Amino acid sequence: MNRQERSQLIDALIEGDISEADFLRLEAEFSVDPAARQEYFDRLALSAALETEAGAASDSGRKIVAMPAPARRWIPAFAAIAAIIIAMAAVAVVLLQNKRPGDAVVAAAPEPKASGFAVIAGQSDTVWKNSPQLADGALLPAGSLQLASGIAQLELFSGVTVVVEGDAEFEIVSPMEMKVAHGKVRARVPEPAQGFRIHTTEGEVVDLGTEFALKVSANQSEVHVLDGEVEWHPRAEAMRRMERGEALSWSADGKGTALAANAAGFVGMSDLREKLTAARASRREDWQRVSKALRRDPRLVAIYQAGTADPGNRRLPNEASAGTASEGAIVAAARVADRWGMPGGALDFSPTGSRVRVNVPGEYRSITLLTWVKINSLDRLYNSLFLTDGHDLHEPHWQIMGDGRLFFSVKKRDKSGRKTGEKDQHIFYSPKFWNASLSGQWLMIATTYDADARMVTHYLNGQVLSQEAVPADYLVENVSIGAASICNWSEPMYRKDAAFTIRNLNGCMDEFALFAAALTPKEIADIYAHGKP
Amino acid sequence: MQPPDDNPNESAFVALLTGIQMPLRLYVQSLLPGDPAAKDVAQQANATLWQKRDDFAPGTNFKAWAFSVARYEVLTYRKKQARDARLVFSEELEETFAEEIAARGDGAEQQHEALKRCLEKLRPQDRELLMHRYAKSGTLHDFAAQAGRSVGGLKVTLHRLRNALLECMQKQTRAQEGLS
Repeated sequence: MNRQERSQLIDALIEGDISEADFLRLEAEFSVDPAARQEYFDRLALSAALETEAGAASDSGRKIVAMPAPARRWIPAFAAIAAIIIAMAAVAVVLLQNKRPGDAVVAAAPEPKASGFAVIAGQSDTVWKNSPQLADGALLPAGSLQLASGIAQLELFSGVTVVVEGDAEFEIVSPMEMKVAHGKVRARVPEPAQGFRIHTTEGEVVDLGTEFALKVSANQSEVHVLDGEVEWHPRAEAMRRMERGEALSWSADGKGTALAANAAGFVGMSDLREKLTAARASRREDWQRVSKALRRDPRLVAIYQAGTADPGNRRLPNEASAGTASEGAIVAAARVADRWGMPGGALDFSPTGSRVRVNVPGEYRSITLLTWVKINSLDRLYNSLFLTDGHDLHEPHWQIMGDGRLFFSVKKRDKSGRKTGEKDQHIFYSPKFWNASLSGQWLMIATTYDADARMVTHYLNGQVLSQEAVPADYLVENVSIGAASICNWSEPMYRKDAAFTIRNLNGCMDEFALFAAALTPKEIADIYAHGKP
Repeated sequence: MQPPDDNPNESAFVALLTGIQMPLRLYVQSLLPGDPAAKDVAQQANATLWQKRDDFAPGTNFKAWAFSVARYEVLTYRKKQARDARLVFSEELEETFAEEIAARGDGAEQQHEALKRCLEKLRPQDRELLMHRYAKSGTLHDFAAQAGRSVGGLKVTLHRLRNALLECMQKQTRAQEGLS
């Protein structure tokens, strides 16, 4: 092989345009001649450098349009994690210059961190001022919080339970400390949290055990000891020890008046629990009413509602009146409480092998996938929502990447063309929507595939997460599903190899729906509004 | 709040990882010549390296470790593709590639500077052709169709331009070495 031929063959190899015979000749040459290998490396490096150079000039193409997420306060520690991830991504992008739309960028997250000292354990008719609506189970953001109206129950990491009645302004300073600017607060302090304190303008209450309440207004603080003992440390005055049944009203000018403790004047934990149970039951009824109507939607191919099935039965009926999909067969998944707390109304897919097997005949031009899930954590590279067996032509796959992005694809071709550079499918990723602070919260996730508008839209809790046009060469107009699994991925069933990939969702699902059409943003928002617990 | 560089191990690891991006990519591409997915595989190798960062023993050969992880990613990728293995180099050759690419001088920056200077020396239409070709991941056939040229003719032109660039860059590098 002369040098000219050698360099031509190397270029052909790098272009992916080499015959098998020439490949073998080149391999033989590489095996014996170090200079040939160096030339190979030089030419590879040149190609990479040219790509970098060319990439800098034209970085156009399809773009993912990120929609403004429902305003969420960035918590400093998250920002730090984000910075690391961004740094990682920057390493990948800047140095490789190879990020094309649709490429899989798998940024591995460092050890997950979250920020806060307390979670919302329950709330009734709450309106939060100057911060987005906080979901049950959400971490309480740092800083001063304003509850305009309603009642919220907070669980501090120290074990203290606090019920706050709006209108109130307060701040959780640490798991053992809280500030109240105004409003009514009732705290139950377990033994490990003795020494818990609440600051007001007039002074400071230090709990010595069990339960007390505070009513704070512009220039007056009332302390009521409902059980156990507290210390009252007024500003510039000696500490007073107060016992069960005692109460004090303390004014800004340092005058104290003794009162009788009034437990009835403050909403307690059990009162709130009753309220919450009643509210949840009424929301659940509302959803049942709406979902009955939804079941008659002619576009509905399947709706599986774990709550409607007989708990002892491993069959999950398809409740869609016109639905052509089969009933579901529950495998391994255990029954747990649904999103309204109703026992047995949801399936927990965390046991390995968990899935619901379904069969969906037919072909669809457009589809909507919609589900209610509670995710414990995303601990796999792929965390399944709905996947067809194997991955055959025209089949959709719907899952969540380990880094928190939603993944949707429809297989267009059998194989990626090594020579042509074509991929077998285009993957529609949402921006990252999940992080550890959402763990344990019920979320409604939906994705619509619209072949007419050539658009894929991802939704979280009724709001658009992102939209991406379907590239013309990846458009599939006859989406087919066949045998599929909810919350897991099944390789073809006749295979005899017992080893399998672990892709089950580490979390619960209480509802899954498939429509033979792309629902509108308004319809998705309505389903969320009626379906949220 | 903890700024990321509060963790010296992590920032040191990022620095190490940053330092081997070019050789890592080169190595992965040498194993998957002509495969547009090579970059994805290299990215995946980065992600895996980051996940396994605690496995790396500081003071040992980072490049060698990273390359072994990258090779494993390539094998996984090939398995997943389940394609015929016609165009796969022998295992020994792949190992030789790893050793030799690891031993190559890093000089990515000087090389890139040299490339820029050498690109300037090309005729504008040639430069444009190269930029156009490398901005797209499409095939030579698609590109030829777009450019309204024959595939054979385009191949010859691109090959000639690459040869010219390589020769020019080697001269530049030698001149630099001569100066220093």
